[in-house]
Amino acid sequence: MLKRGRGIALSWYGTGYGNGFPDYSVATVELAENGEILLRVGATEVGQGSKTIMPQVCAEVLGVHSDQVHMICEDTREFLDSGTAAASRQTYNTGNAVLKASESFKKALLEEARLYLKLNSTAGLEMEDQKIWLPIFPSRKTTFAELAAHLKSEGRILAVTDSFTAQTIGMNPETGEGVPYWPYTFNAYGTEVEVDTETGRVQVLQAWCVQDVGRAINPDLVEGQIDGGFVMGLGYALYEDLGVKDGIIKNNKFAKYIIPTAMDIPTIHKYIVEDPENTAPYGAKGIGEPTMVPVAPAILNAIYDAIGVRIYELPATPDVVLKAIVADREAKASAKSASEAPSVAAEGAGKNG
Amino acid sequence: MITLNLNVNGKDHRLEIEDHMRLLDVIRGPLGLTGTKEGCGEGECGACTVILDGNAVDSCLVLAAQCEGKKIVTIEGLETADGLDPVQQAFLDNGAVQCGYCIPGMVLSAKALLDKNVAPNDNEIKEAISGNLCRCTGYDKMVKAIKTASEVMQERGEQK
Amino acid sequence: MNTLKSVGQRIQRKDARAKLTGTALYPQDIEMENCVYGATVRSEIPHGYFTLDLTEAEKAPGVIRIFTAADVTGHNVHGVLFKDHEVLCARKVRRVGDPIAFVVAETQAQADDACALVKVSYEPLPAVFDPKEAMKEGAPQVHDGKDNLIYHYKCRRGDVQKGFADSAVVIEREYVSPFVDHVFLQPESGLAYMEEDKVVVVASTQYPHFDQIEVAEAIGWELEQVVILNPVVGGAFGGREDISMQIHLALATIALGRPVKTTMAREESFYAHSKRHPVYMRLKVGAAEDGKLLALEAELHGDTGAYASWAINVMRKAGVHITGPYEIENVYVDSYSVYTNNPYAGAMRGFGATQVPVAYEQHMDLLAEALGMSPYEIRMKNLFRKGSVTANGQVLTDSVPLETCLEILNQAMNGGSEAAGSGRDSSGTGTAAATGAGTSAVPERSVTDNA
Repeated sequence: MLKRGRGIALSWYGTGYGNGFPDYSVATVELAENGEILLRVGATEVGQGSKTIMPQVCAEVLGVHSDQVHMICEDTREFLDSGTAAASRQTYNTGNAVLKASESFKKALLEEARLYLKLNSTAGLEMEDQKIWLPIFPSRKTTFAELAAHLKSEGRILAVTDSFTAQTIGMNPETGEGVPYWPYTFNAYGTEVEVDTETGRVQVLQAWCVQDVGRAINPDLVEGQIDGGFVMGLGYALYEDLGVKDGIIKNNKFAKYIIPTAMDIPTIHKYIVEDPENTAPYGAKGIGEPTMVPVAPAILNAIYDAIGVRIYELPATPDVVLKAIVADREAKASAKSASEAPSVAAEGAGKNG
Repeated sequence: MITLNLNVNGKDHRLEIEDHMRLLDVIRGPLGLTGTKEGCGEGECGACTVILDGNAVDSCLVLAAQCEGKKIVTIEGLETADGLDPVQQAFLDNGAVQCGYCIPGMVLSAKALLDKNVAPNDNEIKEAISGNLCRCTGYDKMVKAIKTASEVMQERGEQK
Repeated sequence: MNTLKSVGQRIQRKDARAKLTGTALYPQDIEMENCVYGATVRSEIPHGYFTLDLTEAEKAPGVIRIFTAADVTGHNVHGVLFKDHEVLCARKVRRVGDPIAFVVAETQAQADDACALVKVSYEPLPAVFDPKEAMKEGAPQVHDGKDNLIYHYKCRRGDVQKGFADSAVVIEREYVSPFVDHVFLQPESGLAYMEEDKVVVVASTQYPHFDQIEVAEAIGWELEQVVILNPVVGGAFGGREDISMQIHLALATIALGRPVKTTMAREESFYAHSKRHPVYMRLKVGAAEDGKLLALEAELHGDTGAYASWAINVMRKAGVHITGPYEIENVYVDSYSVYTNNPYAGAMRGFGATQVPVAYEQHMDLLAEALGMSPYEIRMKNLFRKGSVTANGQVLTDSVPLETCLEILNQAMNGGSEAAGSGRDSSGTGTAAATGAGTSAVPERSVTDNA
């Protein structure tokens, strides 16, 4: 018999190193010889898109297209240490460093323009599309490339570095009082599943992912994280187990460690909620990990809704679900109690003994 | 050592190779085409997918010796002087790339499908790429990209 | 808000074209002249002493040199928090997969073959595979002279006993999250070579500067003499935070004066990098008749395996997040991180906060059912809002749109038929009318302007 059910889950995730660790990020914005921008920043690109969004932040400040901002993050000689690409920290922490460095660079570049254009002050100077000009007297104008050439003739390079340190407070080891993380990213996900009560097989038919992002710097990339996070969560809930026994990994091949394929994906409805975080670059928070966090519980709650049986140990593979269905049926049959049968949890705990 | 004659991306090659070499090894080694990736070596992940006489295959499961006289297309063979292949362009436009490691294989599986069936439905698309594992994207934008490529290819076909 | 030109735009990925045309170079795609190849001998037992017999392997075709612990020129350690990994184990292995020797030969095939000829004689020691067992008196010690219990997070807020006493329902359950892997598609691969007086290491990583520090310390060189190149990373998810082959490669290239390359097969990759911490969770929550959560007690045991990696931070994150995003006045949490002889656990997407909602979100549904409420209602009753205080005493001052998220979810899934509240249009653009049709009336992009 095929039974359908729906489940929801809320979650939260504190980004960054946390707990009072000096979570420090730094970025350098530099004027290239051709008038384009070099962004030297250790926001490692692991596929999540940091190499696309950091230039977007810089481009926004400088009024250029992000195509004109070239990010360097591959050679340790070419950029400063900006912490790890982990803990979903790059967008907020390093994004802030990029924002500050870009703003400081803008100030410095306007000052160079002031000197070059022989003006008293930077008041009224506009910067857009690699051009700097004074609207009240438009013949006073220059370009990024012109300034770069001028600097070069003087043997100078304009490179401005700035940093950002996140605010957290180490927790009291006895009470846990403190500020372990800031900011937190929240979400509310729901799933609809179909359970085959003959085989125990669970399929996720639909998903609704409502994701708090602060601000979506690049909606394509945010959606990509929601899609990817959901599918990783689906694998975590239903398929993945290394089968570690006596220290040996039984499932160390793709044939045995099952991850989702394109055949396993549900229809995913995505909702991006933008409630800006005031200390964040354009309000943006990290989302790389949050997008995975509520998935498994949303699926597990949906399974319960479908078949009235709760799975307490992951993954909810067909044999586990089937065992739980049978155990529940037997418990109900022997009319023990109306409350949840804890037999599955005990069995699960026994597996690892 | 054996002599192997095969056509890769439209070019004929004559190579001296060791008998046990897999097609993947010949592509990445003597031919220097590193776009085709190794992800598992056991035909499970599809990162090594190439098109062999019109069919998408896991090149880690094909002995090079089996390819005598055959036509192979790797990811490097898609872009022409006219630009990117519709599948490549569609992946670009639909934001379907993240870490990129599965991409060459994924694109070729999609191309092999569309070259045979230019208007697949969703299920046909998902089945065609079901042998290509991706851990980053969750596949959704890839399916959308393949649909886009299908539309472009149909339009071009109509214009002929 | 609408005047932003770059931020908020669907800008095409900068690195997509190279990846789509096969021109993006991952470390395994890089070949160098005069390069030699390495393969790692790894432990086959979870705990024990060992000795090596290299005689047959050294004579194997193409073998140039076999590196062991004695060849480590700096400190034979690495680790993201504790330096508890050995670059190459000196006399003891603590997990299946511990690196024991690095065999370098003219070709990869020769290195792999020679690896199999390295004879390892083991003297097995009693091993422990369960974190609760590992915490007991007399349990086998995974690291000599160190307690298996690495970290204990405590949260003590209010009075949970009173909270439970005041509760209309109290539910206690146990939940288990197993060993899980990142399975990034690109297996580990790297090269190292000399560039004048510097050693250059090319390997995919999440944190090149930290790798630089670890390599420099292990080889005993100044930081400035070590360069890390990180060309393209084929996925990470937390699995590329620990050193994999970087130090082996650096040692080999310095000793041999030739570029050295190594690539892992998928089976080896599964053993080489960290895992998600298995967590055994006991959760007890009490709620009032109206659904308000009154008390939460949790005990979390995290199995960090043979090496700490991010053990402390993961179980701390788990301990903080086990309350769920809910206001609870009385909270009592113990979260433990423990060594065992299992494969080592470290960072993986969610980092402790992914395991715990398997417990707390199922618990919310359990409580809702016991109280005759809906899953939506009980969450609406308790969720964090602006101004809420967490169990750690942190005030959430900004950007807490949980209620909005749940309302949107509810509308999307139910057409607003279950909406509790005034039916406020939270989307800002689309309709929020309750059609009851069950279809999504909410646009896919919802912007809440909190200005």
